[in-house]
Amino acid sequence: MIEWNEQHLMIRDAMRRFIDAEIVPQLEELEHGDTPPYAVLRKMIRTFGMDEMARTRFQHQIDKEKSGGASKASGEPTGGEASREASEAQRGDSVAMQLIPIIELCRYCPGMVTAMGVSMGLTSAAIMSKGSVEQKERWALDLLTMDKIGAWAITEPSSGSDAFGSMKSTARLQEDGSYLLNGSKTFITNGPYADTIVFICKLEEQGVDRKDWKIMNFVLDTGMPGLTQSKALRKMGLHSSPTGELFLQDVLATPDRLLGGVPRSRAESGTKDTFSMERAGVAAMALGIVDRCLELSVSYAKERVQFGKPIGEFQLIQDKLARMEVARMNLQNLVFRTIECAAQGRGLPIAEASAMKLYAARAAVEVAMEAVQVYGGNGYMSEYQVEQLARDAKVLQIYAGTDEIQISAIARDLLSR
Amino acid sequence: MKVLVCLKQVPHSDARLDIRDDGAWIKDDGVKFEINSYDTYALEQALRVKDAGEAEVVVVSIGPDRVTQALRTALGMGADRAVHVNDPEAEGSDPLGVAKILAAVAAEESPDLILTGFMSEDGNFAAVPPMVARLQGIPSATAVVQCEISDSSVRVERELEGGAMEVVDLEMPCLIALQTGANQVRYASLKGIMQAKKKPVDAKTVADLGLAGQVGASAVKVVIEKIYRPDKGEGAEMLEGSTGEVVSQLVGKIKELGLL
Repeated sequence: MIEWNEQHLMIRDAMRRFIDAEIVPQLEELEHGDTPPYAVLRKMIRTFGMDEMARTRFQHQIDKEKSGGASKASGEPTGGEASREASEAQRGDSVAMQLIPIIELCRYCPGMVTAMGVSMGLTSAAIMSKGSVEQKERWALDLLTMDKIGAWAITEPSSGSDAFGSMKSTARLQEDGSYLLNGSKTFITNGPYADTIVFICKLEEQGVDRKDWKIMNFVLDTGMPGLTQSKALRKMGLHSSPTGELFLQDVLATPDRLLGGVPRSRAESGTKDTFSMERAGVAAMALGIVDRCLELSVSYAKERVQFGKPIGEFQLIQDKLARMEVARMNLQNLVFRTIECAAQGRGLPIAEASAMKLYAARAAVEVAMEAVQVYGGNGYMSEYQVEQLARDAKVLQIYAGTDEIQISAIARDLLSR
Repeated sequence: MKVLVCLKQVPHSDARLDIRDDGAWIKDDGVKFEINSYDTYALEQALRVKDAGEAEVVVVSIGPDRVTQALRTALGMGADRAVHVNDPEAEGSDPLGVAKILAAVAAEESPDLILTGFMSEDGNFAAVPPMVARLQGIPSATAVVQCEISDSSVRVERELEGGAMEVVDLEMPCLIALQTGANQVRYASLKGIMQAKKKPVDAKTVADLGLAGQVGASAVKVVIEKIYRPDKGEGAEMLEGSTGEVVSQLVGKIKELGLL
């Protein structure tokens, strides 16, 4: 894949029209007010029929599981070079259809992508990858259609990068087979509004060293006795994504809420698969931020006159614009590679996903800060969009694994060869 | 019911337009194009007819290869098939030439209803729709802001001068030219966009339509001598400063004139 095809450009144009009409006019409220992003996200999902597509895909998956995985994907070609290519193109388009809305939304509201991605992506994926058919039907479909909002709760006040090692949240097995859940979680995207929460904790095991306790995933519903969801926390950026705390005090979870049963060992938690997916999505987010910062910077460099000429005629400004374009091209190629790998049915190895995330996050921050610099005093003012994008970009170096964690993952892979 | 929607691809409203060296039109190299916004209301109206019952929506456009994108967008929004008159012979047609081509397509398709935009955003003639109707010998209504479509007739509400409105009944087949804002235009759904590439687009030449030598630059009756940007006139005062400064100066001026 070397460029967007006609179909991708149509999706992009339709998205841009929607964003111009529905999001840009209320950007101020979404970014600086207290308007949660869910109503406009739901409108987007319904407008583009993403909910209908999710329902169809979900039903297909469930039917397949109920019949023991025997049925073939409907419309999936069988054999032959031409049909293999058609099947690859279909898979590639399907990933492109997920990434293009991310890129386009990030040109204005990276926070909305975070809110949407955590609900429709992370939380539903945790249930879809580990849950039983009953659990998927009970919780995942509503998340995939955004009828309900999901939160994926792993981070705790004292466990960030060392998510499992320092984790204090626990599940205690009761005599009747149910579990008592305790602990507190923080920095939880959608936490204040979540209907469905995937809560990650450790199973208390007598006589076993705490660090070896098994990792458990439970699905909780808002309003369960003992579960408190905080108000949205104030933060540097991503204001269109509500972030909060969760407090659990003796929350009683019946076994039907346990995802994937009791793992046999700590390593089987499966949570790490989620990280790879999360990291690949960051390249698309960074592309949206960089694309918009570049567009704004070029336009400002042409308009802003100092010393009697547009600042775009000064070489120091040209250097900034050229570097931004290099970053944009690199990020676009990373997104193309993600689509190409998905088309061929190849997942990205974790080290490559880490490298991609590290580069993308740094590029987004560098470009957004340089965009502020091109705008000078105006760029520091909230009236200009580059100010918001610069604050928003910073989180890409922190969430979904900090830069430092990505570097360790890349180095560990290099040294193990 | 069969509905034919005439679409024109025009430069994007945000595109920077430069005048061609011969002064007769704009340079279209590197310009981004989109569907003429008036025509999107016509398309939406047609898709509503389809949503309400059995109807086939056919879209037609004239122009080079780039026009395929406009047609695919319309197919993505829900049109069933497209006719693309793609022929250098058609280039440079005046409104009558365009109307002859569209009327010839309409003659082949025999639609019950032809829907168009009131005018195009680039040419601004507002001449093609009534000409198509005249050439086809069917009734038409222009500047339509609302229509109720039944099996064999259409009741439309159209704008008159001075804010007055007029209600007109037309027997099918007929042509309706829609005013901007006549409805809320839908977005193409992702599924619709995926399906669009499988929908048929029939390419036609001027000769296929029996119009060889009758349309295009050589057959024009209206010649564009030149297009130009008017010189800045006297008497305009440009307010300088930041947005806040400009606003307060403007309010001051309005107060000076005793208008506030």
